[in-house]
Amino acid sequence: MSSSTRKLVIRAYWIVTLLVLAVGVWLSAYYAPIESEMGVIQKVFYFHLPAAFCMFGACFLVFVAGAGYLWQRDQRWDDLADAAAHVAVLLASVVLLTGMLWAKKAWGQWWTWSPRLTFSLILWLLYVVYLILRASIDSAQKRAMVCAVYGVIAFLDVPLVYLSVKLMDDIHPSSVELEPSMLLTLIVWMAGVALLTAGLVAGRFRLARISHKKSHDASGVTGGMA
Amino acid sequence: MIALRQILLLLGKDLRIEARTRQALALVLVLGILIVVVLALGLQGGNARGGLSATAILWVAYLFGGAMCFEKTMAVETHDGALAGLLMAPMDRGVIYLSKLLANLVLMATLAIVITPVGVVLFGFDLSRAPLAFASVVGASLIGYAAIGTLFSGLVASSRLSGGLLAVVVFPLSLPLVIASTQLLKGVFEHGNALDASAMGVIVAFDVIFLTVSWIVFELVIEP
Repeated sequence: MSSSTRKLVIRAYWIVTLLVLAVGVWLSAYYAPIESEMGVIQKVFYFHLPAAFCMFGACFLVFVAGAGYLWQRDQRWDDLADAAAHVAVLLASVVLLTGMLWAKKAWGQWWTWSPRLTFSLILWLLYVVYLILRASIDSAQKRAMVCAVYGVIAFLDVPLVYLSVKLMDDIHPSSVELEPSMLLTLIVWMAGVALLTAGLVAGRFRLARISHKKSHDASGVTGGMA
Repeated sequence: MIALRQILLLLGKDLRIEARTRQALALVLVLGILIVVVLALGLQGGNARGGLSATAILWVAYLFGGAMCFEKTMAVETHDGALAGLLMAPMDRGVIYLSKLLANLVLMATLAIVITPVGVVLFGFDLSRAPLAFASVVGASLIGYAAIGTLFSGLVASSRLSGGLLAVVVFPLSLPLVIASTQLLKGVFEHGNALDASAMGVIVAFDVIFLTVSWIVFELVIEP
């Protein structure tokens, strides 16, 4: 694909993503009804749930890329893991903050040790540590290896975290019933956030590849001059 | 049989070094006692009594003490090219992992044996109500914690990372153990329940998954 065609495709992708998100915002503001118990704050749910789903997707991508690196020792896998981990932390932060907004309205306090809030917090911690680990290692090969192992272990830890927090007392609603208009709004948001997640991961991945290429070219020039 | 002999040989070497230098254990024990005393004083001058406070605070001591054990048992290999020599020895690298794991477990068991009575005394924790349940829950949890701690101590030693990072990496990963064991012990000591099978299942699953994965992955990551 030529450079100009690629630019065009990327631009079209982001326009579609922003349009879907704009439709989602409009639907949640004017089309979906205000929920009787939670009031306006219930509308954060349209962002909260898709962000949670996409967060799991990003965490899974970190796992796949980590396993891929351990298998093939290809730098591209590490770049993909890096991109996915950044997006996973961003989405986990959104899930955590919107969950806290919900907790304040539903239970009158910003934080309760409910299983789902605890789960979000631990997941956020797991992937923030992944980013700290990346920033702490200078050697690209060592960094890729250590982070690949951590990425695999962290994802295997996720179901165990889920099972362990289920042992705690729960005040969360176990299921949510949605009206058709609410369901449609949720589906549009789900599509918008999924497109946004994929776009952000792809964007960061591409940036990392360009950065590697530039540093590789620069070291080649320096080596040649020396 | 040969692998078992190699594991015992390496374990004996690590424990002999520790017995002669007494660097790790003395430090870990004093740190553990300090953590329990500081938290007991911090929690309303020792007025926060009972099983739940004691088990939570003991877990903090086990976690920090354990992280120091992992670091120290691997640190002996980083001097004078010892790790390179160890890796050149004609043995499977999984053997090195298992010997380090056992060395860590011996140190952590010593830590638990010393620290737990301190917690029992300072918090008026009636351990005699279910000593076997307490020992089995803490024992199973420490195996899982040592499994990931040993793996990441190898990674940290191979990557020349600062020791503080090891605690940052292993603490969030071990949170399922902390939650499951504190919930289990809360049920046993506060409500007089029997050991909950599902909570014990989380701890055993953690042990099995991370012992297997760490044993497999250690071979890939350990480098001189």
